[in-house]
Amino acid sequence: MDVKTNNTEKNEIALIGLHNVLDPEIGLNIVDLGLVYEIDFSEETNDIVVTMTLTTQFCPMGESIVESTTQSMQQSFPEGNIQVNLIFQPPWNQSMISEEGHIFLTT
Amino acid sequence: MFIAGANSPIKNTSYKVVLPFYGYAALSFLVATILLFNNTSAFTQHYFSPHTLAITHTMALGWGTMIILGASHQLFPVMIEGKLHSNFLAYLSFFFAAVGIPFLVTAFYKFDMSFIAQTGAVLINLAVLCYLANLWLSIANSKSKNIHAIFAFTAVLWLFTTTLLGLLLIWNFTTHIFSEGSLYFLSLHAHLGIIGWFLLMIMGVGSRLIPMFLISKYENKKMLWWIYSLINVGLISFIFIFLSSLKTQLYFVPIVLVGIGVVLFGIFIYRSYAQRIRKKVDGQVKMSLLSVVLVVVPIIILAIIILLFATLSNIQLVLLYGFTIFFGWITTIILGMTFKTLPFIIWNKVYSSIAGIGKTPNPKELFSSRIFMANGVTYLIGFIIFGLGIIQSSVLILNIGSIFLLITAVLYNFNVFKILFHKA
Repeated sequence: MDVKTNNTEKNEIALIGLHNVLDPEIGLNIVDLGLVYEIDFSEETNDIVVTMTLTTQFCPMGESIVESTTQSMQQSFPEGNIQVNLIFQPPWNQSMISEEGHIFLTT
Repeated sequence: MFIAGANSPIKNTSYKVVLPFYGYAALSFLVATILLFNNTSAFTQHYFSPHTLAITHTMALGWGTMIILGASHQLFPVMIEGKLHSNFLAYLSFFFAAVGIPFLVTAFYKFDMSFIAQTGAVLINLAVLCYLANLWLSIANSKSKNIHAIFAFTAVLWLFTTTLLGLLLIWNFTTHIFSEGSLYFLSLHAHLGIIGWFLLMIMGVGSRLIPMFLISKYENKKMLWWIYSLINVGLISFIFIFLSSLKTQLYFVPIVLVGIGVVLFGIFIYRSYAQRIRKKVDGQVKMSLLSVVLVVVPIIILAIIILLFATLSNIQLVLLYGFTIFFGWITTIILGMTFKTLPFIIWNKVYSSIAGIGKTPNPKELFSSRIFMANGVTYLIGFIIFGLGIIQSSVLILNIGSIFLLITAVLYNFNVFKILFHKA
């Protein structure tokens, strides 16, 4: 699943960092798992909003994944005001896993 | 179009609530295997003996129930998609159970059914009431009332029925509450707990977690409703036959109903496994899958017991039946699922603040996988040998089996406490 964005260049930098954020149970990064829906960059306010989900609501690892996402984004954009917007509509499903993610899970 | 959620991260149940249950359960397993090792001769006698009762209640309450209570405080929010209502009620539940269980076990061991046993039983009932209230209030505040949560909540209602009857049976030793002696009600008390509490709870949690761990595409709510109905109707029909003192052969009705429920659950798990995206299945999930197979063993033994009861009373088979439930099916799922939940709880506690910006260990690295494997091997050897010892009524074979089970408990405790004391 492609991550929606309004700034392709910054989005690429963000995704490099987010590839290091793993779902600890599955061992796959949150981008290939399809948890990241959108990254929105505001040039005026320097706000960066990551809209993402979890594989299940009230996932026991949820807080950790959100915290890691925030930390990773802050490392990629030290001047940015990072916000993680956690949503559950649309709910995550297996079709959101990327091709790389499928390869990781099936080998 | 996205629907925005809250900006603040979701709050899970605090690890402080859950960890005491895990530690307590691990120590209870060790205590149970030590008692088993010291009292193997009890397994050549009638099952209604002080030492057998002490071991059974250590396994059922200290081991099985405590770890389910702990894990479910963490997992119940996942099932109902809502927060746990109260951490305080969870602490209270732990406190009452942690004090009550040793009271009850000691009373059984000494066969002193007066003050110590009564205090223990009251405390255990208070623990269950706190747990029941917490789950009820959590469900009432949640948006999703799904089949898994209904399984779990019904299981807790059966647990309360079990512990309440247990309390009355304890009192019945000193004050005649019932017209019959407490021994008469033993099978009713046991099956309320085994089928109503353990089976329903494990099915409710397992049907949610196993497909989740396997990343399976399979879903079948209709089948889960069938399983739920079969198990509950089976248990209710058992209670009716028991209380009406109907013919022994009629017990085949609940056995068939529960048996079909178990087979359907096996099919559900198999299909989840077959339609999984995650091809590599770890040892912890394999162990849990084995427990689904092992649940069939006591059902077959029970059917044989009922067939034989028409002609003779087979004490060995009854002992084997109880053993395959508490040391077989329930222990297998706990041995597997502990290492699928506990390392993540600790990992969350220790590493969540630094994950994403630096290298952190995999949660699986928090325990020794070698010891986990050895644990599985010693357990299976111990389980089979001890089972044979019961059939043969041989103290020697029972001793050998109990040594392997004791080693299993030591290895399990090593890994559990290695995780519990893990630091960055």
